[in-house]
Amino acid sequence: MTAVDLTTSTSSRIDVGGSEVVVHFAGSGTAVGYLHGMVGTPPGSPILSAAGDASLAITAPCLPGFSGSEPSTLTRNVHDWVFHLSSVLDATGLTGGPLVASSVGAMVALELAAVRPEAFSRLILLAPLGLWDDADPVIDAYATTLSVQRRLLTKDPTATAIFFDDPEGLTGDDLVEYGVARYQTRTSAASLVWPIPDHGLSDRIHRITTPVTLVWGADDQIAPISYLDRWASALPNVVATHTVADAGHLVDWDQPAEVAALVAADLGSNDVK
Amino acid sequence: MKTAFFHLMPYPELPDDFPQTHQSVWVDIDPKLYDPTVGHRAYNDYIDQLEYAASVGFDAVGINEHHSNGYGLMPSPNIIAAALSRSCPDATIIVLGDSVALYNPPLRVAEELAMLDNITGGRMVAGFPVGSPMDTIFAYGQNPSTVRERYHEGVELITKAWTSDEVFSFNGKYNKLRYVNVWPRPVQQPHPPIWIPGGGSVDTWDWCAENDLVYCYLSYFGYKAGLQTMNGFWNRVKDLGKEPNPFQGGFAQFIACADTEAEAWELYREPAEYFFNTCLHVYAGYADPPGYKTPNTVRSGVEGMVERAAREATARAEASAASRDAANDKSAKPKGPSSAGTSQLTFEQMVEKGYIILGDPTQVTEQIHELCTNMNVGHLMALAHFGNMSRDLVKYNTKLIGQKVLPELRNLFEDEWEDKWWPKPMPTEERQLPDRSESTMTAAKGASA
Repeated sequence: MTAVDLTTSTSSRIDVGGSEVVVHFAGSGTAVGYLHGMVGTPPGSPILSAAGDASLAITAPCLPGFSGSEPSTLTRNVHDWVFHLSSVLDATGLTGGPLVASSVGAMVALELAAVRPEAFSRLILLAPLGLWDDADPVIDAYATTLSVQRRLLTKDPTATAIFFDDPEGLTGDDLVEYGVARYQTRTSAASLVWPIPDHGLSDRIHRITTPVTLVWGADDQIAPISYLDRWASALPNVVATHTVADAGHLVDWDQPAEVAALVAADLGSNDVK
Repeated sequence: MKTAFFHLMPYPELPDDFPQTHQSVWVDIDPKLYDPTVGHRAYNDYIDQLEYAASVGFDAVGINEHHSNGYGLMPSPNIIAAALSRSCPDATIIVLGDSVALYNPPLRVAEELAMLDNITGGRMVAGFPVGSPMDTIFAYGQNPSTVRERYHEGVELITKAWTSDEVFSFNGKYNKLRYVNVWPRPVQQPHPPIWIPGGGSVDTWDWCAENDLVYCYLSYFGYKAGLQTMNGFWNRVKDLGKEPNPFQGGFAQFIACADTEAEAWELYREPAEYFFNTCLHVYAGYADPPGYKTPNTVRSGVEGMVERAAREATARAEASAASRDAANDKSAKPKGPSSAGTSQLTFEQMVEKGYIILGDPTQVTEQIHELCTNMNVGHLMALAHFGNMSRDLVKYNTKLIGQKVLPELRNLFEDEWEDKWWPKPMPTEERQLPDRSESTMTAAKGASA
């Protein structure tokens, strides 16, 4: 059982194209969007807690099926997700602003940036998925048991306790439904990377003119750090790269304060318009 | 009741240390372990065994579909069914079944089963499984979040293709076909009976109950463990106000029969241990890809049969590894004389837990009777071959079951219930049998020469 700090953020549910979307708000200062990785953004997520100290005002919508957002039936392929994200950005006022996006969220954000160049002023991407090299494959996070998957996602397996462990005080049907929601988040994440997290972005990547900062956990066991160079070479407008020590694939779950500070510094730099 | 001789077709020569040296028998089984000469013998032995079963009293022969699997060498059950369709001229052929979501378009299934229904003169049962996670999600790369939707759409397409008397368009979410027109048309009208093999999904219970489809629980773990699952299905039937016709249920059961119980204990130990400890050595990480289960199944807490097998196999492997590590660690304290290797399932446990029904013909008859009446199951899939059983032993087991057990059970349920889900073939006198005779023209020329 895990205690969750709910004091650092607020949440609301909005309707986007007939689908209910959970949106979290945290901190005050420089406005930035945040799009989650494989475990979604449950209340009390580390990046939300770290927003205040870094003077960031984070708006964090959750994609269909993640963290309580309504699962979508329109998820035949990645383009269904892209159009949904486009609508979510419009509904949350994030269109045209900077976005921090992790893993599968970064994959969808990049796809959107390829078809809608004005969607983002800047992308700060935490270990994005979407490229593939047969000789150096991205690890299949879902061909494992739950305990192994947990150890693969972060350097410190306890970092994701608020996702993988049951919350304190929850019993009976509430606990069952919590488990169902967690399964739904995993379902949505898996559906984005199945069977190979490559939806053809490399054919479209030349269209992404958005300035991109790449951030990678030095101990990423899902997308090897070798992918940092692949992305840096493939994306047309990479302005900075960072490696974060003692961090796995979900960089911001292992090192939330460092990632938040890095984002704040990045958004405060001169090349941000 | 009706009984099918059901074959899994395992690869018979996996190494003795397979569970200790390999992660899984399914999905990533080492290709280098496969010897095609062994495969050649195995396929021909297995087809012989199915044909033999059809000749010694079984009502049907049954086969299924697996991929990248060391215990199931049937990626295409329809190929085996095609061989049997000619060599088993009277038996019902149960394809249980074709994993509809893996065919693109699933119309291929409609066509092949219609071909088989034509060749056999209407002796086909069409089984449509969602398919295990190992087969569908890992070996065939289907997205776990959409595989069930794709499956249901495929079954809808197949049944419509069989029954429509007009060419039609099908504008599905996953299948878009401008001209659907299955030739040949099935012999059985409106279509061959549809059986659904399930592994424990509560939504499959609902679907079968609502649509009057046969629910078959193809369990590895026998009748004692299967009772809860079958009860779940019958409860749904009852909730819908429908009759609990036992012929709407099917169940798979390993059976080990000999002239005496003592002989059975002696004969079947090795093949049983080969199956349960080697063939079911499945890595748990392949058993529960997120999205494969429906929310209702997650909510119910019901553990699927494959999921259970993989969980137990992985736990055994981890226990064995820990035991070996401890034995190799000279500083470790001894854990007792039997700590190493004790994680394997014993034959005694398999029988005690009901995974295997064992005994002389009378004992086997009693246990099958108990199984079928307790579970209310009118279709039994008898697994009389398992593991690496020798050809002779399979025949011995098959003949005892076919000739001494099944005659005692044949009338079960038959007086009280109609089997609405059994094939309705063409009249025997209208069915064409294999013709091995010489041409009359050749004979005439021979006479005049």
